[in-house]
Amino acid sequence: MENIKLIINFLGQLLPAINITLIVSVSSIILGSLLGLLLAAARLSESVVLRVLASVYVSVVRATPAIIMIFVVYYGMPMLFNDWFHTNIDGWNRMYFVIIALTVLFSAPVSEIMRSAYESIAKGQMEAGLMVGMTPFQTLYRIILPQAFVVALPNFANSVINLLKEGALTFTIGVVDMVAKAQMIVANNSGGYAWQTYCALALIYWVISLAIDKGVSQVEKSYQAKRKTIAV
Amino acid sequence: MSLNTDFMVKVAQTAIQGVPVTLQIVLVALVIAFPIGILFALIRIYRVKGLQRLVQFYVSLVRGTPIIAQILIVYSAFPSLLNMIIGRAAFAINPIYYAYIVFTLNAIATLTEVFRSALQTVDKGQMEAGLMVGMQPRQTFWRIILPQALISALPNIANTTLYLIKNSSLAFIMSVKDITAIAKTEAAFNYNFLEAYLVVWVYYLIICYAAEVVFYLLERYFSKYRRPIKKTSGFNWLPFGIKQPKLERKQS
Amino acid sequence: MLTIEGLKKSYAGNDILKGISIDVNKGDVISIIGPSGSGKTTLLRTMTTLEEADGGHLTFAGVDKDFEKLTGKEVNTIRRNVGFVFQNYNLFNNKTALQNITEGLIVARKVKKSEAEKIALKALERVGLTDRKNHYPSQLSGGQQQRVGIARAIALNPEVIFFDEPTSALDPELVGEVLKVMQDLASSGTTMVVVTHQMSFARDVSNRVIFMADGHIVEQGAPKAIFEKPSEQRTKKFLTDILANV
Repeated sequence: MENIKLIINFLGQLLPAINITLIVSVSSIILGSLLGLLLAAARLSESVVLRVLASVYVSVVRATPAIIMIFVVYYGMPMLFNDWFHTNIDGWNRMYFVIIALTVLFSAPVSEIMRSAYESIAKGQMEAGLMVGMTPFQTLYRIILPQAFVVALPNFANSVINLLKEGALTFTIGVVDMVAKAQMIVANNSGGYAWQTYCALALIYWVISLAIDKGVSQVEKSYQAKRKTIAV
Repeated sequence: MSLNTDFMVKVAQTAIQGVPVTLQIVLVALVIAFPIGILFALIRIYRVKGLQRLVQFYVSLVRGTPIIAQILIVYSAFPSLLNMIIGRAAFAINPIYYAYIVFTLNAIATLTEVFRSALQTVDKGQMEAGLMVGMQPRQTFWRIILPQALISALPNIANTTLYLIKNSSLAFIMSVKDITAIAKTEAAFNYNFLEAYLVVWVYYLIICYAAEVVFYLLERYFSKYRRPIKKTSGFNWLPFGIKQPKLERKQS
Repeated sequence: MLTIEGLKKSYAGNDILKGISIDVNKGDVISIIGPSGSGKTTLLRTMTTLEEADGGHLTFAGVDKDFEKLTGKEVNTIRRNVGFVFQNYNLFNNKTALQNITEGLIVARKVKKSEAEKIALKALERVGLTDRKNHYPSQLSGGQQQRVGIARAIALNPEVIFFDEPTSALDPELVGEVLKVMQDLASSGTTMVVVTHQMSFARDVSNRVIFMADGHIVEQGAPKAIFEKPSEQRTKKFLTDILANV
C-alpha cells in the first residue's frame, strides 16, 4: 500500500518530463518514415547500385545497438560537420542528435515493412488496375496503398513501440527526459525508493505502449468492418 | 577527419576481452529462457486458467517497457531483496548475475510470443494423425509438433538473439565489464569517445552477423524436410542477411 | 464387429448428427455418400473419438459403452484398433515416408525398430512407393502422399480403416492412383468405411452404401439397389444431380 502511494507520487514527478520523450519519438517517427519510404523505393528500384546500397544500410542498422548509434551520432556528427562544412554544431540541442540516431534506427525496419507490404499487394492488384484502364499512379494511389497500409499497420506499430523504448536511452547523452528525471529523484533520495521510482517510470512507458496497441487494433477493426460490408 | 587510429587499435585490443562477457550474457539468457518460453507459450495456447492471464500480463509488461527501465528496476530491487535473504553478501555479488536476470526475464517474454506463433503454425491435423496411429497426445507433441514448431521459429529466434546481443550493450549500466563498458572507460581517459564507439560498433556488427550466419546454417540444415527434392540452386546466401525475418505480431 | 447406436453430435446448438446407427461387419466396404454438410465427416470423426460425441453407444474391440462414458484407456483401445486416412493426408511433415509409417509402430505399439521397418516396407510396397521411402512429404505429389497415408494406416493392421474423403484434396489426374490402391485393399478383405464423392467407388467397390442427409441416414443398402432403385426421393434427387455433373 505504502509502495503504491510512493509510485503514484513519483508518477506525478516524472510526467512533466514526458514531453521530451514525445517530441523525440514523434519527430523520429515522421523523419524515419520518410527515410524508410526512400529506402523502400530504393530496394524496389531498377538500379542495382541503389538496391545493394539500401540493403547494406538496412542490414548494418539492424545489427547496431541503439546506444552505439546514439553515441556515434553524438560524438561523430560534430566532428564531421567541423571537417566537411567547417560548421560548429557543438551548440546544438542534444535532442537533435537523439532524433537523428533514432531516425536512422527507425528507417531500417520501416523500409522493410513498407517493402513487404507493397510486395504482398502489388502484383495481381496492379495488373487488375491496369486492365480496367487505370494509370499506374492511380492504381498505386487508389488500390495498392490503402491495402498495403492495412497489411503494414501492425508491424509498423510494433516498430513504433520499439522506437519509443529505444528513445528511453536519450538520457545517456545528457538530455533530461523521464529516465534522467527518475535517476535524479533517486539521487535526491540518496538512493532510497529506487525501485518504486523506476516502476513508476516503467508504468508510464507501458501505458503508452498499450495505448498504441489499442489504437492500432481499433483501426484494424474499422478496416475489417469496412471489408465485411463490401463482402455482403 | 582526424581519428586517432593508434588509440583505436588499443581499444580494439582491450575491448575484445568484453566479447566473452557479452556472449555469456546472451547465451545464459537464451538457454534459460528457451524451455520457460515453450512452457509459457503452451500456457497461452491451451488457455490454462489463471496462469494464462499472468503470462499475458508478463509478456505485455516486458514488451511495453524499455529495457533500460527493466535494468534499473532489477538493479535497484534485487540487491536489497537478496540482502534480506542472504545478508550483506548480496552487495558483493558479481553484477553479471543481475545482467543474467534482466536479459533472461526479457528473453522469456520475447520467446513466449515466438513459440506461441510457431506452435500455432503447426497444423492441427498433425496431432490428429498422431492420435490415430495410436500415439498419446504428449508423445505426438514431443515427436511431431514441437520439432516442426521449433524449426519454423528459427528466424524469429534469430531475431530474438539479435535483440539480446544489441540490448546487452546496456549491461554497462549495471557495471558489467562488457564490450561497451571497457570501451567507455578507455575513452574517458583522453576523451576519444568517437574512436572507442566506432570500434565497439564493428564488434557488434561482427557478432550480429556471425549469429545470423549460425542461424542461417541451422535453418538450412533443419528444414531439409521442407525443401522439394530437386536442388533449386547452390549456395544462395547473401552476405548481409538481407532477408529480414518476419516481424513478430505480439498478442492478439 | 463395430456397432454404433444413436450417435449424436452438435456444435453450438446446431445438430450435426441426429442419432446415427451403423453396423460394420468384418470384410465390409461401406461407402458413405451425401450432400456436403450432411455430417459424413463428423460421423467418422466422432466414431473414431477424434471428436467427442454428445450421445450414443459403441460396441467395438471389447469396449461396450456409451460414448460420453469412455475412459481414456478405452479411447486408446479404440484408436489402436482403427486406421484413419485423412482428407489432407496429414503426414508427419518432419518424417520421411518410411518414418511416417514406423512412427506409430515404434512409439505406440512398441515394435522394435528393425521389425517396424520391415512392416513399413511391406506396406509401402502394397501402395507401390518403395522407391520413395526416404522422401519427405513435401517432396511427394498429393497422390503419393495419400498412398503413404494409406500405407501408414494398413501397417498398423487395424480392425477397420476409416477414409475421410481421401481423394477430394487431389488434382483430378491423381485420383486414379489412390482409388486403385483402395480397390486393392477392398479386394484383399480389409474392412473399410469410406466417406466419398467418388460415385464409381461407391457403386463398383463397396458392398454397402449409406446415404446421409441433414444428420440422418436416409437410406442404406447394396450399391445396386441404391443406385438403380433408390426408395427415397432425396436419394434419387442427390444421385441425379451428382451423376448429371459427371
